[in-house]
Amino acid sequence: MGLRFLRKVLIPFAALVIAASIGTLVMGRAHASSAATTSSPSQAAALTGLEVMTGKGATAASTSELQYGYTLFQTHCSYCHGVAANGDTGIGPNLQGLGAGVVDLWLSTGWMPLKTPSAQPENKEPSFDPAQIRAIAMWVASLHPGGVPIAPKLDLKKSSLATGFSLFTLNCAPCHTITGAGDALYDGYHAPPLHGLTASVVWEAVRSGPQNMPPFSARTITPAQLDDIIKYVTGKIQHPTNPGGIGLGGVGPVAEGFVGLLVGVGGCLVAAYWVGDRTERDEDDHGDHDAHQQGPESAPEGAHA
Amino acid sequence: MIDSLYRWVDDRLNISGGSRKLLNKIFPDHWSFMLGEIALYSFVILVVTGIFLTLYFVPSQQQVIYNGVYAPLRGQHVSEAYASTINLTFQVRCGLLMRQMHHWAANIFVGSIVVHMCRIFFTGGFRRPREFNWIIGVNLLILAIFNGFLGYSLPDDLVSGTGIRIAFSILESVPLVGSYLATFLFGGNYPGTSIIPRFFIIHVLILPAIIAVLIGAHLGLLVKQKHTQFRGNGATEKNVVGAPMWPTFIAKTQGFLFLVAGVTAILGAVVQINPIWQYGPYVPYKVSYAVQPDWYMGWLDGALRLMPSWEIVFPGHMIPNAFFPGVLLPGITFTVLMLWPMIEAKVRGDTAEHHLLEEPRNNPWRTSIGAAVLSFYFVLFGASATDVLANYLEVSLNTVLVTFRYLVVIVPLVVGPVTYKICLELQHQHRPTKTKRHNIVIRSEEGGYSTIEVAPRPGDERPHLEPIPVDAMVLVDDDGQPIAAGRVAAGVGSGGNGNGSGRGIFRIPRQYR
Amino acid sequence: MPDSPDDSRPSEAPGSSDPGAPASPSSAHDGHAEPPVVTVSINAPQFEVAAANPEQVERGIAVMFVLAAVGFAGFGAAYWQNASNFWLGISLALGMVGLGVGMVAWGKYLMPRGPFSESRHATGPTEEEREAFLTDFSSRGKVAIERRGFLLKLLSLAGGVFGIVALFPLLRSLGPLPKHMFYTTAWRKGDYLVTPDGRRVHVDDLEEGGVLTVFPPNDIGGALSQTILIRPLLTDVVTAPLRKTWGPAGYLAFSKVCTHAGCPVALYEHAIGILLCPCHQSAFEVGPDKPAVPVFGPAPRPLPQLALYVDRKGYLRAQHGYYEPVGPGFWERGDRGIAQ
Repeated sequence: MGLRFLRKVLIPFAALVIAASIGTLVMGRAHASSAATTSSPSQAAALTGLEVMTGKGATAASTSELQYGYTLFQTHCSYCHGVAANGDTGIGPNLQGLGAGVVDLWLSTGWMPLKTPSAQPENKEPSFDPAQIRAIAMWVASLHPGGVPIAPKLDLKKSSLATGFSLFTLNCAPCHTITGAGDALYDGYHAPPLHGLTASVVWEAVRSGPQNMPPFSARTITPAQLDDIIKYVTGKIQHPTNPGGIGLGGVGPVAEGFVGLLVGVGGCLVAAYWVGDRTERDEDDHGDHDAHQQGPESAPEGAHA
Repeated sequence: MIDSLYRWVDDRLNISGGSRKLLNKIFPDHWSFMLGEIALYSFVILVVTGIFLTLYFVPSQQQVIYNGVYAPLRGQHVSEAYASTINLTFQVRCGLLMRQMHHWAANIFVGSIVVHMCRIFFTGGFRRPREFNWIIGVNLLILAIFNGFLGYSLPDDLVSGTGIRIAFSILESVPLVGSYLATFLFGGNYPGTSIIPRFFIIHVLILPAIIAVLIGAHLGLLVKQKHTQFRGNGATEKNVVGAPMWPTFIAKTQGFLFLVAGVTAILGAVVQINPIWQYGPYVPYKVSYAVQPDWYMGWLDGALRLMPSWEIVFPGHMIPNAFFPGVLLPGITFTVLMLWPMIEAKVRGDTAEHHLLEEPRNNPWRTSIGAAVLSFYFVLFGASATDVLANYLEVSLNTVLVTFRYLVVIVPLVVGPVTYKICLELQHQHRPTKTKRHNIVIRSEEGGYSTIEVAPRPGDERPHLEPIPVDAMVLVDDDGQPIAAGRVAAGVGSGGNGNGSGRGIFRIPRQYR
Repeated sequence: MPDSPDDSRPSEAPGSSDPGAPASPSSAHDGHAEPPVVTVSINAPQFEVAAANPEQVERGIAVMFVLAAVGFAGFGAAYWQNASNFWLGISLALGMVGLGVGMVAWGKYLMPRGPFSESRHATGPTEEEREAFLTDFSSRGKVAIERRGFLLKLLSLAGGVFGIVALFPLLRSLGPLPKHMFYTTAWRKGDYLVTPDGRRVHVDDLEEGGVLTVFPPNDIGGALSQTILIRPLLTDVVTAPLRKTWGPAGYLAFSKVCTHAGCPVALYEHAIGILLCPCHQSAFEVGPDKPAVPVFGPAPRPLPQLALYVDRKGYLRAQHGYYEPVGPGFWERGDRGIAQ
């Protein structure tokens, strides 16, 4: 009896549960690895009349670095953005005045280069190594002043996780979700998940406001506050505290409901199937009772009126 | 010692007669009859774990400064309710396990009620004389859903607090009395400081008391009217065939309690649920994206999302948009559910008593209507995750919403007729029996295979046994002598009045062992 | 009645072949006769243990109970050692599952095989029973109630008044009457726009595309006065013909309370000029000629706009409070709102 139970019920159910768990885990992971946005960098990050931000410890570019950046840009970027990075080809936007930080952001996240102008920017492996990215960024920045600089080296030791959590909740959670899982915005845009992003990418994104993300200047989020937020993002968002077990991708009650129904109620159903009996059928019973009228077994109608 | 204790109680309370009736209660054994027990035992787990939680939870919206172990909250202003729940999670030993088991048990509780209700519906178990029990059951479903909502709102975290705001708006949307309902429940305008303490007392005292009483009535009616059963194995409209309460059913159902507890404990150990420390405290001007209620409220959330932006406005008054999916839809849903036995009896003209269940395939119109309606709510439930689905499937949010608006109409219209057809097909199928048969497989020279059924050999089949009527039998030994001196043959109802034979509880006379 | 020991069929009283069939109507109850008493041998196979291999099953159950004991002991140890949630839960689960499987197996395999049955009695009463009830009720009740209709009416009056009045403390004490609570917020003419930190917002604070949550100074953090401040452009924005001065220097302020179900409308997609509510995805178009009109989702009305101006020191201030009730609708709201 036990062997039959094992074969017929437990193994298929275990397979189902494993598939469901893998499904939810993959769903959770998938959030961390996809971010589809539709159009190219917003020019709204260009600043006029506001203070130019200087990052702490940003070093100036050397001539050889600018030369290197120029060469790289002409080879890989000028087709869409023009040889002077001003978008005169009509394919890509004007990059002048956006600042080195914006270039660094879009190259480090792999959003750029796009395969075709209408392709969706996605989080992926950068096409250039950090030195190349910095060179390109420095060269573009040298064309026109202003914009967002490359993120400074951040010392987060004195930053406050608690303040970061509070600011993150107010400013970032409405689009990126409270667990940083990312979500779909209106009209096909997405707020990407925050997993796997470096501190400097977060810094540059907050200051430059890529695409639909609003830019947050130092007057609205001070440098200390930004450090706090980055500490929280690179800390508890990217490495959440999950003492309760499997985190289900941080998606909340949607995933919990699936697990509760499939594994919880499902598990109890499996147990019930073992505890109870199956329907016994008599030899000559072909199951076509009750297809029409009730048989004589039912009590006479009206007898209890 | 058990004997003398039993006698002591029995001499004073006269329990032998009633106890005998109870012992002889027969429970049909089908596994689908255990679904209600899943709900019952989940409720037991909820009460036990809930009592633990009430000893630590502080139902107050008073702001305090958190000073515990979870660093991202340290120094922040949070409500005492939130702080005490964080405390339960991180600093009370076993606290997180109790919290998680409580929440998983709640999900299983509502889920099993729904599955149980579906079983009753599709097999016609609500028909006369069981209409009362059906109505009690639907009320239990409503109370369970509501209590679940109250429960996960207690920690006053960002995600559930958003749900409370929506609840205020839905209350407010009721015509004529909405604004009064809302300010009365919340003790003023939103948010006030009364809602968490009020939710607390409703969640731990008022609703559980009502639920417990209703469960008692539900089970009492079940005992009085006896359980329904499927055909087969000698079952008729006038008997109940199955396992007796003593000893079989008691053992199985007790064991089942532990199995349900085990499943809940596994979930509580392995899968995290409601990580409120990641959500942070509720602040009225903060919100997160990808916020859904717990699954049993999902259909309401989906309805709110899918509802087109209509609003009825006339001079001086308004029926707000949120009223239709938030109040009207659940109102119609539960009213029709509750009245279904009467509706079906009227439509089918069937007012006879039924103690034998129908197989779903044998009542195609009910099965297909039920399947269609279930699919409607399933689509609504799916619609509560429009944003998550749009993100996961990498399609536009707009596309997902429009698709769901079409699905909510098309899916039930497709599921209904298809189910009907399937039922008709299944009715004409030959059902295999449980009897084991041997087949010999023969391979012909050309390579084809055919089978020859072999007549069963002795020992192949399980012997088909007649049910023994425990309420109308005389037990005799090998020589045909009645075992107990005539009392057993007295049949139902007669209470014992001290036969003085001095027999112990477990003693069967030696020669009959 | 002598019976052969291995006859599994309960022998029945002569004359009836089916315990459940309607028998002679002597004690018949609408077709549910008292079943005839049958004689059953204590050695009938229905009383035998269900399993074919009871010793093996017993060993299995014993293992289960031992595992259960180990599990519970493990729970105790995990508790004592302050182990993680996982170990506490898994040990408890082992105990529960062990107990459960053992008890169910005992009930399924080591109990009398059965099946057993009992008869159903008629659900409803006999005519005699009902008649007896009605007779008892009316024979004594008649004396009590006949020609006492007047008293009964007065009793109902007293009871009715009690019933109504009892609702007063139960309901009315719960909270204040809504009155005008929903019609106004804390915003007043000349109020500074203040961040949650209490800082006044200056016209230079936001970049183009920036966003901020603001409150009136006397209601910082207020659930209903919460306002979302955006800067879609750097020059004056006119959202509607009668709102020419409401959007100085590109700043627009809208009520952050969604007109659908009250959630904070916190998502600002500045590249496409949309305010999105996270709860049910209502989207409001904002910008020139676009006064937060809902274009997607269930929201029925635009977000109320707060008229702003920039004072001499460059701080943003409110020209006046909101002209209409903020947030979701309610019965008395009607079509209140400015025609602007």
